Amino acid sequence: MNAQTAKIREIAKELLEKQEVQMVIGWEKGTFFYNSTPVFITKPEDVERLIWDEYCAVNLAKLLMDYRHVEGKVALFVKGCDARGINRLIQDKVIDRGKTYLIGLPCPGMKDAGKAAELGKDKAGEAPLEAKCLRCTHPNPVVYDVLVGEEVPVTGKEDRFARIADLEKMSPDEKFEYWSKQYDKCIRCYACRNVCPACNCRECVFDQGQTWLERAVERGGNQFYGLVRAFHVAGRCIECGECERACPMDIPIMDLHHKIAKDINELFGDYEAGLDPEGPLPLGMYKTEDPEEFM
Amino acid sequence: MKSLSKANLSQFLETMNSKVRVYVPVEQDGVSRFAPWSQDCQLVLDRNTINPPKRLFFPQTEELYEYQVDKQDASVKSLAVKPEPFVVFGMRPCDVQSLKLLDDVFLTKGYEDIYYKQKREQGIVISLGCPEPEETCFCDSWGVNPARAPLADIMMIESEDKYLLEAQTEAGEKLLADLSGQLTDQSGELPEGKPCSLKVKNEGLMEHLQPKFEDPVWAEICRKCINCGTCTYLCPTCYCFDILNRTRGKQGVKYRCYDSCMYPEYTLMAGGHNPRPTKKERVRQRFLHKLQYIPERYQELGCVGCGRCIKKCPVNLDITRVINQLWEVE
Amino acid sequence: MCNCNGSHNDNPLLPVVGKIIKIVEETPDVKTFHVTSENGKPFTPMPGQLGMVSIVDVGEAMFSVTTQGPEHLEFAIKRVGTLTDVLHEAEVGQSIGVRGPYGNGFPIDLFKGKDVLFIGGGIGLAPVRSMINYCIENRDDFGKLTIIYGARSPEDLCFKDDLFENWPKVRDTEVHVTVDKGDDNWKGNVGFVPAFLEQINPSPENTIALTCGPPIMIKFVLQSLAKMNFQPEQIVTTLEMRMKCGIGKCGRCNIGSKFVCLDGPVFTLAELNQMPNEY
Ligand code: SF4
Ligand code: SF4
Ligand code: SF4
Ligand code: SF4
Ligand code: SF4
Ligand code: FES
Repeated sequence: MNAQTAKIREIAKELLEKQEVQMVIGWEKGTFFYNSTPVFITKPEDVERLIWDEYCAVNLAKLLMDYRHVEGKVALFVKGCDARGINRLIQDKVIDRGKTYLIGLPCPGMKDAGKAAELGKDKAGEAPLEAKCLRCTHPNPVVYDVLVGEEVPVTGKEDRFARIADLEKMSPDEKFEYWSKQYDKCIRCYACRNVCPACNCRECVFDQGQTWLERAVERGGNQFYGLVRAFHVAGRCIECGECERACPMDIPIMDLHHKIAKDINELFGDYEAGLDPEGPLPLGMYKTEDPEEFM
Repeated sequence: MKSLSKANLSQFLETMNSKVRVYVPVEQDGVSRFAPWSQDCQLVLDRNTINPPKRLFFPQTEELYEYQVDKQDASVKSLAVKPEPFVVFGMRPCDVQSLKLLDDVFLTKGYEDIYYKQKREQGIVISLGCPEPEETCFCDSWGVNPARAPLADIMMIESEDKYLLEAQTEAGEKLLADLSGQLTDQSGELPEGKPCSLKVKNEGLMEHLQPKFEDPVWAEICRKCINCGTCTYLCPTCYCFDILNRTRGKQGVKYRCYDSCMYPEYTLMAGGHNPRPTKKERVRQRFLHKLQYIPERYQELGCVGCGRCIKKCPVNLDITRVINQLWEVE
Repeated sequence: MCNCNGSHNDNPLLPVVGKIIKIVEETPDVKTFHVTSENGKPFTPMPGQLGMVSIVDVGEAMFSVTTQGPEHLEFAIKRVGTLTDVLHEAEVGQSIGVRGPYGNGFPIDLFKGKDVLFIGGGIGLAPVRSMINYCIENRDDFGKLTIIYGARSPEDLCFKDDLFENWPKVRDTEVHVTVDKGDDNWKGNVGFVPAFLEQINPSPENTIALTCGPPIMIKFVLQSLAKMNFQPEQIVTTLEMRMKCGIGKCGRCNIGSKFVCLDGPVFTLAELNQMPNEY
């Protein structure tokens, strides 16, 4: 057990014993060494289940939505991306900051579980980081009540827009071909939406029968789904990469979100969502000097 | 028994494909699935596919009938067509076993689903046994032998630099006879494989679960589930579907499409009542359906232990761990 | 063995396209549609069985067949959503898809030789009516018929001709009607069905009770019946679930290992008590 795991258990135990919170949401060890999975602790004696290791990729922020109406506070462990997810939910008025207790965890980056599985336990150390972690710009939580351990530097990572540079070079036909192939794989399970902290609408357009989109799983509908979701989270996507990690069909969903983020930066100035729950949203306001290239 | 040198596999498939359409497990655009054989496809023979082969018999989206309307008048025409015979090559024993359950659902209890039946009758299954199960596989806990698929037309398993093939049905015999030029006679028995490392306790599970419907454990189990449909859409035995209209002007098509008990709308009634209003009821439905209701209704398990849901659930809500947790409930 | 009475073709999902030949406005939001097809009655259901009704380019939904004639089926349909909106706008001559019959229907043998107590609320009289009419057509097979029915207001009463004209004339048959709230012309009883039932206080002796209506009414009717010493085996009701296929394939209408479209919609209370409480 690493020192931080001991520390997070201690913090969780104290919070529960003193009844400052009624639940602590963290991670426990899952099926295999490369699975760390969300756990909900309500009794002090259960804190021994909590762990903090290099496979805690699941963003816990979204899971808090189930507890927004309960009495009392809920504590949550937050990495950089979980913390931004929390800010997303606060800014979207989905959760109340006053009812959450955030235990910040500076994040060294999570290992790619799929690759670790292929390499096996002995060689898992060689597994690369999750794609989302390679491009993470804020591994340190941007909001917390208490921080466990020292902040980590943002080093050795890829430029977050690197992967889309190649896509931008494609001709429109090539782009269409590329994305068609990707979204032809989509099984419309909606894992990308359900895991996403920015997809927090009370009723999703895709759940309104066939009003907006047919249920048939086919090229046009799949692409419509991907694009509409990307636009619905434009300017609000916190780049946690959960959508892409959750996708069972390995669709490079983040490329859509990064492309939109990059365009927003170019059009309206640099912006990163989920850093500050108070500031204006780039697409939620206008200025008279805004560019009008699309007009 | 026949044998086929591994080096000749491609030739074997090519020859077979010249007689009858052959589907094989491939890796395509970054995901594995069954697709029509072609010389340049990238075969995946070292592990099972993420998309289950049930899609060949029960596709995600399937047209049922077309219709024409004109003012008050309307007419319908069935779109059920019997396909040409086809071969599914390389189906794993777990997935072959899943066809047994799909047969029970679609072909028994008073009604036959013609869309499924037509494909099932025309499909010839060549099963590829698993010498070494993946770590997410637990089929043998459910009584499936990873190296045998009794329902397959032909059972095939690798043995050093060869594949050994044994016909198990008349259709299988005939297919092997047609391909005899590619095959060598071989004596002996098909080899066994290794057992799965992942295990669950099976015996008495249905009876154990019967009184657990109201147990508080479900409120615990469901917590991390995000109610996506991933586990159900990838599961080889899940069969739930929705029936929908696609109308364009005066004509249209009635089609069906996979649906999932994980979604709130699945049971939502027109008046607004929902018998499964929260994820607790939905998660309970998924597990009890597989482990209690299907066994009660069809006298066999609703899970074949393929492990796809374990691999792909974004929050690692693992059915084997759920089963262990349920066993712990008094 | 299926319970289709041999009427479905080899593709049970394909509807027969028939026509609406008559529309009766029962209440402001309930209409009864009489449907027939080129080959006469699309199918011959037993009382309590269901039919999948569609406007072919709009959608399908499951309804109980409220009664039938030699050449037609009747569906009493309340306006609650997209399909029923379209149905309510439809006129005589409109093409209608129908497939069925689905479900188990009422257990006739259980009723035979016994007195029957029918308790209906609102549109819940629709399935009950199929059994009432069956008892009337086979009058000698059953004992005394007692019909208790309630609706929100006088104008919300369904099947008024049957309630006030046809059924009271049948030998050894009582019809009791109540409304939650009366109006200036209402001379009958005012009050909820369960209280009204207790007031009438029918004997459980050699009787089968059949009840259909809104879930809240059913809940209190069951309590009242228990008070009056009706045993769970003597109480029959119907369940509603969202349905798509009607033939036990699409999965959604299950309660535990039972499928409402095949094994239901009719259950005795004794059977329901054995099933998970998830409907
Ligand atoms: S769209 Fe993807 S990356 Fe953006 S917030 Fe949602 S899950 Fe995270
Ligand atoms: S997670 Fe992937 S497969 Fe599922 S709906 Fe999203 S893009 Fe499609
Ligand atoms: S169990 Fe996992 S895959 Fe299935 S719905 Fe829940 S989160 Fe999605
Ligand atoms: S429940 Fe999971 S392990 Fe079982 S058959 Fe379905 S996908 Fe495979
Ligand atoms: S579950 Fe069994 S049959 Fe299926 S792939 Fe794994 S070992 Fe083979
Ligand atoms: S309506 Fe499809 S299974 Fe009952």
